[in-house]
Amino acid sequence: MPKKMGLFLFCLLFLTVWLQATFKKEDIRVDKLENGLKIIFYQDPKIPNIAYYTFFRVGSRNERPGLTGVSHFIEHMMFNGTQRFGPGEFDRIMEFYGGSNNAYTGDDFTAYTDWFPSQALEKMIELEADRMPGLVFDPQVLESERGVVASERRMSVENNNEAMLNENVRATAIMAHPYHWEVIGWMSDILGWHRDEVRQYYRTYYAPNNAVLVVVGDFDSEKTLELIKKYYGNIPAQTPPPAVTTTEPPQMGKKQVLIQKEAQSPSFMVVYHAPSCQDPDFFALSILEKPLLRGESSRLYRRLVRDEQLAISVSGGIEEKIDPFLFTIEVKPRPGADLDQIEKTIDQELARVFDQGITEQEYQKALNIIKSDFYFSLQTISGKANLLGAAEVLFGSYEKLFTIIDSYAAVKRQAIPAVARKYFHEKNKTVGKLIPEGGKQ
Amino acid sequence: MTRSLITILLIILLMPVVAMSSVKLPQPEKISLDNGLTVFFYKNSELPLVSFRLLIKGAGSAFEPQGLDGLANFTADLLLKGTKTMDAEAIAEALDFMGARLDMSAAEEYATASGECLSEHLARLLQIAADCLISPAFKEDEYKKELARKIDTLKAVKDNPGQALRLYFRKAYFADHPFGHISIGTESSWQKMTLAEIKKFYSARFRPDMAIMAVVGDVDKEKLLGILKSTINQWPKPVAPAPSTDLPPVPAPKGKKLILVDKPDATQSYFALGAAGYSVGDKISARAGIMNTLWGGRFTSWLNTELRIKRGLTYGAGSSFQSWKTGGLFMATSYTKNDKIGEMLDITFDLLKKAKDKGFSTEEMESVKNYILGQFPPTLETNGSKANAYLRLIYYSLGFDYYDRYLNEISSARPEDIKAAAAKLLPESDFVLVVVGKGSEAKKQLEKYGKFEEKKITDPDF
Repeated sequence: MPKKMGLFLFCLLFLTVWLQATFKKEDIRVDKLENGLKIIFYQDPKIPNIAYYTFFRVGSRNERPGLTGVSHFIEHMMFNGTQRFGPGEFDRIMEFYGGSNNAYTGDDFTAYTDWFPSQALEKMIELEADRMPGLVFDPQVLESERGVVASERRMSVENNNEAMLNENVRATAIMAHPYHWEVIGWMSDILGWHRDEVRQYYRTYYAPNNAVLVVVGDFDSEKTLELIKKYYGNIPAQTPPPAVTTTEPPQMGKKQVLIQKEAQSPSFMVVYHAPSCQDPDFFALSILEKPLLRGESSRLYRRLVRDEQLAISVSGGIEEKIDPFLFTIEVKPRPGADLDQIEKTIDQELARVFDQGITEQEYQKALNIIKSDFYFSLQTISGKANLLGAAEVLFGSYEKLFTIIDSYAAVKRQAIPAVARKYFHEKNKTVGKLIPEGGKQ
Repeated sequence: MTRSLITILLIILLMPVVAMSSVKLPQPEKISLDNGLTVFFYKNSELPLVSFRLLIKGAGSAFEPQGLDGLANFTADLLLKGTKTMDAEAIAEALDFMGARLDMSAAEEYATASGECLSEHLARLLQIAADCLISPAFKEDEYKKELARKIDTLKAVKDNPGQALRLYFRKAYFADHPFGHISIGTESSWQKMTLAEIKKFYSARFRPDMAIMAVVGDVDKEKLLGILKSTINQWPKPVAPAPSTDLPPVPAPKGKKLILVDKPDATQSYFALGAAGYSVGDKISARAGIMNTLWGGRFTSWLNTELRIKRGLTYGAGSSFQSWKTGGLFMATSYTKNDKIGEMLDITFDLLKKAKDKGFSTEEMESVKNYILGQFPPTLETNGSKANAYLRLIYYSLGFDYYDRYLNEISSARPEDIKAAAAKLLPESDFVLVVVGKGSEAKKQLEKYGKFEEKKITDPDF
């Protein structure tokens, strides 16, 4: 035991040393404008391109009934016209300058991700700064985009059995907290938002003091900061948005969801309430997730897919969220599989963790997976920008990225059973089943 | 004097607005192993990672016996399910323990093995990969488990109209051509499948002398040579002559082929429209690339502008060219509410006609050049993407300077070249159109295009 511990510590030390050699905290420059806009720079000139990421601290977590999905809708509207640039001009100009972009909305934040050749930097800063305060929400354009989002919901939820089950299970497990609804929002809300409500929401959250810029790639940070000051400097700060104060009350017993719809094969999932990503238990559960669910060597894959052949696949785990969210175990059952048997098998495997924990081999495997995943994402300028921004928004500071390994190392293997018992119990559990209509389970 | 000044100004205006710093694919070193395998190597020490990729010619789905759709992928899958010395669980455990990735799969023309890991694990990962390629066990019980999973996966795919569309389209477009084989199999192919067929396919087609390999990442050449010698070089070169890798030309539709797949619970209708493309390395590649980017290949393309940005009919619409040695395919796809599919198709056909008749503006030309050149560097950013590029250039005999030439052609293309490419490649009356959606609603809107062959999603096969 002490011997293995020594080996393990050596590995971590090795990782920390390596990290310092390739991607160092000291090479990151951080600035803040007077209006509260925070900027994180990392110069990385290996390709003549720049990843320019804007993170707004707004997501479905900040919404309310009637306005569900509005964060995501604003993400769409960000491409649909400002006082200076008409609808679609953002994309047209950006592509003209050789850039491309995407954007995504989550429960906790909304990210705008631009990739472009270095020469396009000033134009991109101008465009991004312009749309932070400048959207016009033209009524006709708004209606057209409403149709796009409705189509997105039809495609991604209503024509997707797993997503539909997910939505139902989440809404059942989480009763009070705004994580109750999916990022896409309810269809009646999508069809019902009023323009003035959408505009008010935008004004509150799309403020420099509610945003973080992350710039990674081939540029000069001094010159870039000057450009950022030039274009963003005059955007006024807004009253800080209201805090999200609702706390999810403790669950009082096991919950179940049953969906019956036309389908060729059933769907199954089970979720447990889980801690926020800043809670020390998060790291223990994130380690446990690997031997439990990750890869074909994982316990649940072996039992459900290989040995008992009840399922086609298993997936899930804990997610990085600002407030307590869920630990998900999602199973794609074989057609005709006994869903109760699947649930029982999962219970047995969790009970085994309560009693015996995970092995030294499994613990080391989890750390190896965490380490290699981390390096795989450092391969691209966009991967680095994403890691820096997510750490800033979710973990409270980009600096956490450089100590996150310590948070994992602080988890003792022997502590895992106690953490598992704390979260994986009947009163914390919601089970969801989708059963093909007319057919047997 | 004045005139030449104007000419110079014009030239400047027509140049891409941002002078692009070019990114070159670094020249790899060539290593020839005793068993006939050629390895291309490029050292990149930026991060402690290594990627490798191995391509086996003639082991793709196009070489499956007729009626055994899915055999090539099944063979690739089973390689990871046990060798003479490791069972499936031991392989999974070893890979997961390292946090490494190892995938085996089959495209149409070839099969691939690709791996990625921390440099410290390279020797072990290549040892496992070589073991899987050289001595697969093909155990009966693993075969049965995998087969059962594949049959179930097929059912799940038919629950997803977007995924199902691509498979119905493949069968409709390629019909009896070997590219019509469905990589996830069909109800009837899984009934006919046997382990003996898989073993036969493996023995005939997985050979080192038909393989090329690329390794990119943080490893010294000497060290890599040592690892290769003790692993992949142990793969014996067979005595039997290599099987043929010839394929018939990719078909080009004559007239219209129209298919409607009824999925009564679908809330949207999905369409795929296909026509003949061009083969890899064809002189038209760069011009076709420009034309497609403008027509349906980027966010502000004509197709996405009309269907999504202006009308809000859909979340996404796009088109692409796919090319092989013996030909290629043009495909446009999108989806919308069942009652709008007719409108969506009308707009799509109007845009095809407009591109053929009118071509594209000078401003669009400038934009598309900047876009293609500006988006190019990230495509070669990772070890894996470089390894991929090497194998692609070798397999299709394009030369390591291919991307430089391609980007030069992009820079120098003229609007009339692009109009000509549109006129030549975009479909007018010879195409395959497949719609998956709620038949009772979609049918009436489709009648004007001609007689659709009707299928039910619940019927076996595609």
